[in-house]
Amino acid sequence: MRLNKIILSFVSALVILFSTSVASFAKVVGDKIILGAAISLTGKYSSNGVHTQNGYNMAVDRINSMGGVKVGGKTYKFDIIYYDDESNPKRAAQLAERLISQDGVEFMLGPYSSGLTKAIAPVTEKYGVPMVEANGASRSLFTKGYKYLFAVLAPANLYLDVAIDLAVEKNNGKGVTVAMAFEQDAFSQDVRLGVLDAIKRTGSKKVIDDKLPKELNDMAATLVKVKQMKPDVLVVSGHTKGALTAIRQISEMKVDVPMLAMTHCDAAKLSKQHGKNSQYALCASQWHKTLTYKDDFFKDGMTYDADFTKEFGYAPPYQAAESSAALLVFKDAFERANSFDQKKVRDALAATNMQTFYGNIKFAPGGQNVDKPMVLFQVMCDDAGKCENKVVAPTKWASAKLIHPIPSWSKR
Amino acid sequence: MKNNLILYIGILIFGIAAPFVFPAFKVQLSILCVLIVLATTWNIQGGEMGYNSFGNILFYGLGMYLCASVQVGMFFPLAEWTESGGEKTFVHTPAQFFQGMAVGLIVAAVVPTIVAGLIGYSILGLRGHYFAICTLGLGVAAGEISGGIEIIGAGQGFTTPPFPDVGSLDSRGEFFYFLSFFVLVLTFVTVRAIYTTRFKLILNAIRDNEDKAEAMGIETMKYKIIGWMISAFFCGLAGGIMGGLVGYIDSTDVAFDGREMGVFMVLMAILGGKGTLWGPIIGATVFHIFKEGFWTFFLGWQYVALGVLIVVIVIYFPEGIMGWLREKYPERFGEVVDEKDRKAQVELK
Repeated sequence: MRLNKIILSFVSALVILFSTSVASFAKVVGDKIILGAAISLTGKYSSNGVHTQNGYNMAVDRINSMGGVKVGGKTYKFDIIYYDDESNPKRAAQLAERLISQDGVEFMLGPYSSGLTKAIAPVTEKYGVPMVEANGASRSLFTKGYKYLFAVLAPANLYLDVAIDLAVEKNNGKGVTVAMAFEQDAFSQDVRLGVLDAIKRTGSKKVIDDKLPKELNDMAATLVKVKQMKPDVLVVSGHTKGALTAIRQISEMKVDVPMLAMTHCDAAKLSKQHGKNSQYALCASQWHKTLTYKDDFFKDGMTYDADFTKEFGYAPPYQAAESSAALLVFKDAFERANSFDQKKVRDALAATNMQTFYGNIKFAPGGQNVDKPMVLFQVMCDDAGKCENKVVAPTKWASAKLIHPIPSWSKR
Repeated sequence: MKNNLILYIGILIFGIAAPFVFPAFKVQLSILCVLIVLATTWNIQGGEMGYNSFGNILFYGLGMYLCASVQVGMFFPLAEWTESGGEKTFVHTPAQFFQGMAVGLIVAAVVPTIVAGLIGYSILGLRGHYFAICTLGLGVAAGEISGGIEIIGAGQGFTTPPFPDVGSLDSRGEFFYFLSFFVLVLTFVTVRAIYTTRFKLILNAIRDNEDKAEAMGIETMKYKIIGWMISAFFCGLAGGIMGGLVGYIDSTDVAFDGREMGVFMVLMAILGGKGTLWGPIIGATVFHIFKEGFWTFFLGWQYVALGVLIVVIVIYFPEGIMGWLREKYPERFGEVVDEKDRKAQVELK
């Protein structure tokens, strides 16, 4: 059988290929601290993936240009190896493995979305690689007992429960009827759990509880039901596409609802894309530029907003801000640990207690940030049609008063 | 025959030594094994039987969910495990992990086989494009349905049990590599044995002319279903392993991932040459290497590069790598070319 020779030569070619393609980096090369990150550059999370990457890059440039990281009397600069996880958890887990075992990365930054973080966390945990993540908010991430996972953001169940409280408050403390539509993914389903808790707590009633498909492009069926049932609050969560789809179809179908609560409005650039149609939408946000937190690198929210807009040509959504904050946390931890030992850095991260332009950061034993509340903003437009996001809750930071109920479409 | 034996022993030694020679590539090698299993078993329908199935992903996903569910459910309440707000942390002891995995894999192989039998009975009467489209729907439907079942995590996804603390950091990679390599060997031995029997000839007869095969007294339906059940058995096993390897199961992106895995298994078999024993193996290997390469060197453009590769395959290797080799070196495939006779034929024209 001559065929065998072909196959044998094929196998040996394979051996040669594999053995020559091992190129290894180390965590710290010369004066560089190399971090690894799998980011969704393509696929359904690509727009938020890019926000995340821009946030990371912005912070790397800023920290490097302002003196870098000082460890053991030497100055180091940050560098990041990126891979594209294609918004796919399977791929993300493989890439984490690859960053750690092939590229020799010893410190990781998180990917975008809870689902992908869930896929990566078991890998980083296994290898004892500290990961600071800025975009995985699912509550289940923090109940698995992970020791090396640190999230700078508030967990997903806290996103919209404030909205229910607000609606109840406006209803003189009586329970309200709630219609819910959530995408079938780890993050949105967690937001749903938070809303369910709030409904129970306030004695409200859920009248619609729909699950929406991934890659959300149509929710007309839910909206038809909303028109019939006339709930007091409509809650929608489905990442960027969910926010865009909801506003598009609500305005097309002229659905009247007293309160519309959503997530990802700023990442979707709602006020820019849909202008006045997005008016009155109430949005959960991890961060808003008008909050008065401060740090040495980005000064405050307004400065960050201006600098980011100058560099990338659009206003930073909170996804970018929290990603930048992740780098500040790493810098702080490296300097306090004064070492590149993974365990020492991990302990330093666990002891983090700092303020950044994005908010206070202090980690609970589960890894979530417990020192930073969520804010709610409402899209408000002037007569010229220029729309802005204004913080309406909590009252400590409110820069505008909540408009409630939303005027019906016939009166707009 | 002697040459064959040397080849097999060579590959076996390579397979056993691989994780130690390339310790950093264990995960990629394990995935390669899974890909080969998927391509080889797809080839039973697509290549030998002529039924282009996009539905094998159903068995793969089913196996993945079943294996993980059994592994958890044997020792802990499954619903509490998957509930995202659950405050309790469950930890498998090493013995529980491996026992669960073993039982899980058995279930992951057996149940899809039965499902294949039932579904096959109802849809294998369809032929050609109709069958392909019908199976395409299977994977999509399964993804949507599983995304709504709370006990397996629904949209939240399912975190599979973490690998217990045994041995060194490398033991997880080694365990999954040898498991997938074992399944690969099992698949290869089984498929190779099948291909030497009358069963393969019947499958080929169905491919070449189903009506004629029926007219000759072959119960084509029976053989079609058995063929599909064999595929389902190994797809389920592959899925079970992959679930443990990835560590997180999402209904549409990891388990019933028809867009990627479902299409890749077809692509790999065609790239290597469908209807051959070695074709899918070579196809899967080449495909995996190209894919990993594209991901490293064409960041953000990997799918464009992959698209170009597919176009090149279709234009230059319509019969796959094995088909191309066969055309180029027919004598190496045991075909005797009579130069005189060939020339005589050319002159006649």
